[in-house]
Amino acid sequence: MSWWKSLFPKRASDAQMNSELRFHINELTDENIAAGMPPDEARRSAILEFGGYEQVKEDLRDVYRIRLLDASVANLKSAFRFIRKSPTFSLAVILTLALGIGANSAVFSAIDAILLRPLPFPDADQLMQLEQYNPKVAGPKRPVAPVRLADWNRLNSTFQAITGYYTEDESETSGALPEKITRALVAPRFLQVWGISPALGRDFTPEEQHFGGPNALMISDRLWRRRFNAAPNVIGEKLHFGDYSYSIVAVLPAFFLFPDRDVDLWSAVPFDAPYAQARNSTWFMVLGRLKSGVTLEQGRANLAIVQAQLGRQFPQTDADLAVDIQPLKEITVASSRRSLWLLFGSVSLLLLIACTNIVALLLSRATQRKHEISIRFSLGAPRGALIAQLLTEAFLLALIGSALGLFLAAAASDIFRSLAAQLPRVEEIHLDARIVLYSLACSVVVTLLCGLVPAIRGTRHSLSGSLAQSSRSQVSGRNPLQWLLVGIQVALAVTLLAGAGLLLRSFQQLGRVSPGFDAAHILTFQLSINYGETADLKKLRQFTDRILETLRATPGVDAAAISVGVPGVPFRYQTELKLIEGRAETEPKLIAENRLVSASYFATMRIPLLVGELCRKTDGPPTLVVNRSFAEAYFPGSSVIGHHVQSLNFGYFGPAAIVGISADAREVGLDHLPAPTVYWCAPIAEPGTYFLVRTRNAPMTMAETIRQRIHEIDPARSVYDFAPLEQHFSDALAENRLRTILLSFFAATALSLACVGLYGTLSYNVNIRQREVGLRLALGALHGQIVKQFLWQGLAVCLLGCAAGFALAAASSRVLAGLLYGVSPSDLPTLSTVVLLVLAVAAVASLLPSLRASRVDPMQVLRDE
Amino acid sequence: MPIEKSDLLQGTLDMLILKIVALGPVHGYGISLRIRQISKEVLQVQQGSLYPALHRLEKRGWLEADWGESEKGRQAKFYKLSAKGRKQLASEESNWNRLAGAVANIMQTAQ
Repeated sequence: MSWWKSLFPKRASDAQMNSELRFHINELTDENIAAGMPPDEARRSAILEFGGYEQVKEDLRDVYRIRLLDASVANLKSAFRFIRKSPTFSLAVILTLALGIGANSAVFSAIDAILLRPLPFPDADQLMQLEQYNPKVAGPKRPVAPVRLADWNRLNSTFQAITGYYTEDESETSGALPEKITRALVAPRFLQVWGISPALGRDFTPEEQHFGGPNALMISDRLWRRRFNAAPNVIGEKLHFGDYSYSIVAVLPAFFLFPDRDVDLWSAVPFDAPYAQARNSTWFMVLGRLKSGVTLEQGRANLAIVQAQLGRQFPQTDADLAVDIQPLKEITVASSRRSLWLLFGSVSLLLLIACTNIVALLLSRATQRKHEISIRFSLGAPRGALIAQLLTEAFLLALIGSALGLFLAAAASDIFRSLAAQLPRVEEIHLDARIVLYSLACSVVVTLLCGLVPAIRGTRHSLSGSLAQSSRSQVSGRNPLQWLLVGIQVALAVTLLAGAGLLLRSFQQLGRVSPGFDAAHILTFQLSINYGETADLKKLRQFTDRILETLRATPGVDAAAISVGVPGVPFRYQTELKLIEGRAETEPKLIAENRLVSASYFATMRIPLLVGELCRKTDGPPTLVVNRSFAEAYFPGSSVIGHHVQSLNFGYFGPAAIVGISADAREVGLDHLPAPTVYWCAPIAEPGTYFLVRTRNAPMTMAETIRQRIHEIDPARSVYDFAPLEQHFSDALAENRLRTILLSFFAATALSLACVGLYGTLSYNVNIRQREVGLRLALGALHGQIVKQFLWQGLAVCLLGCAAGFALAAASSRVLAGLLYGVSPSDLPTLSTVVLLVLAVAAVASLLPSLRASRVDPMQVLRDE
Repeated sequence: MPIEKSDLLQGTLDMLILKIVALGPVHGYGISLRIRQISKEVLQVQQGSLYPALHRLEKRGWLEADWGESEKGRQAKFYKLSAKGRKQLASEESNWNRLAGAVANIMQTAQ
């Protein structure tokens, strides 16, 4: 039917009206002339007989005039009346929509802030991260040497500027206790690359960037407020770090949270320092700003040429290197992209289920309103107007729902922020005009999705005589559309539940993993050590030894060790190793994870030594222990002990002898199988080194004692980041947990919505078939038969829905593939559990209306009839 | 005595128009002429009601309109019945017959 034509009626033009009416007058004139009047007289008489010409035209225009405003206002009024008249129905619809739209808007606000918006810097899409890597080795990309960074800056033609940074933790010693503050050491042109200027003060001067020049600091807005009460005269104040003091020259804007949100200080690295000249030292994370109009590809091609040129100039250090360039935003957010889109997908499915539910509700509503609609038809209301009215009702419901949903989203985004503290850019998630606009768009889409089908169907049969045929004697138990909708809801709910079930299972599997070390009763913390101290390794080693001795001597501590990186938490340090004894070209290259640990690490973590001995404490060349995977992968059938290896990337470690083989441990993450690993026994704490302490009681109870002991040894060091090792695991799984919790929540909501849909449809069905049931009971049908019939009707639809959902879940399993651990995306036990759960819940939801059906009183029904 | 618009039962004019147009494509003047002739001058439709009614029926899709030449060669708007209009006419006719029969019954029985 071309019902839409009635929404957009053809308009007769003014000229057409005139010509139609003139024709009439001309014919009348002819008639009068034929009756014997003179032409003038005939015409006058014809005009007279025709009546008010302009009035007729006005009436004609009225026929076509769409009184848009009047009609909308009237529709709105009647929609409000409709809502007031059926509060329960409206409340059900509004709450369902509030949940659907609210959850959707909340997840969208996260996607918008994290994935869609540019980083909060001017022209942020020009910001790139640059790394050096060796394309021949499957190792990680690496930070960049200062001299090379300077060369890139000088030789390239596609970047406005290239800069770099690295961070270390400092102890600020102005106060009674040292305070740990994270400092970024930055290369020249730092602010130029970001495209920002200080909120207060100035950029570094050239002297401050020279070796031996004045020590200058830029501080964060946060530190400025915390330490200096936001005093405007903070410029020129000093901060003290042990023997050194630095003058504050600038306060950076509050939004500037880079390199990461913990950094409070920025100071310049002197590029002309003697120790900054080695081409093989790897210092800087490098950032560059492309010139405007230059594409990423052009930048990559240009830097490739620059690096090739450097390779010819410095064949030893630069020939094997290539440059990798990625947009900074990509680097920042890529890790959370899949989780976020997964959540958005599931929350959109949830909204779809909510809509389906509402379509079913509106459909049953429309059947009840058939009478009202046919009366309005017979009074001459055009179909378009009726559809518009029904849509207005749906729209009003959707609008109220989405307004309520926004409140929900506002509340939810706080929960989301606390759940998702580990996500990048989480502080940028806000509810703003864009989100309001988005939820408004949602409500329009919802209106069309939910309102259109019921409106079209509701106004379809009304042309002839449904007025006479009252719904009284109707027995129409078949509503295939409604049952289809229930089936769709069940199918979508099964899909969501399957996803949630798989994520839960995979989380459970992760909890059951045996990591190869004993993580209970381990306390971790860090000490502020800066890179400057690594100049005197002997002193640093003595200091480390002393700390470890003190820790071991502390009552309540069983063992203490250091490690760069926390065991079981993602931290990759993969390099290629060179075998000093030589290795045939045909044998696989020695690629291994590197761990820098003290000899006590194995005892502290309870990683058994399988063969050989632990690293010796000698002042000679370092020794190392490899894990079993390393020995089996690279030295199958022969002894690995006694060989010497050298890392191609550790500048200050010479060749080391392999003295032992340890058992495998999941060093790089609980969800990663143990990789070939070498433990460099180097008992020297560096910036970023973790202290691991095995405690007798709950780990955190020892924190204060340990802090005091270390303060006694070295009052200028800050001790920070106290946490049980298990806390680190939990943090490392935060994103995993976030998506698991949220998806489970969405799935549970979907299941309850689907059940409400099933319950509602079946109840409605029971209601309209009451007479039939009453008659059958009067004729001797058993209650059990009636219950069985309705129960089966509900369950049959659910079974079909489950089958469809099963297929849908299997088809979409690819989405989850990379996010699961220890469970396949088409895991049969999980999927069948989900189906059983849905069927069980569906059985309960169908049982109630079915029981009600069997309790129909036949006498009552017969009397009504 | 001719019956004017106000005396016509609501909706009856529409039915009459549909009935006349059902005989073949015809213009507004032709419709008013025929109603007058067939009803033997009893029913006289005012132009002020006829044309809005025609346009309303066209908008509802019961009538279709085309421009063509009248017998005297003038440009005129001809109306003809659509499929939808034919259905509508059938239902209105049967309603009317029932109503008229019922009224007639009462008038006769109550005499």
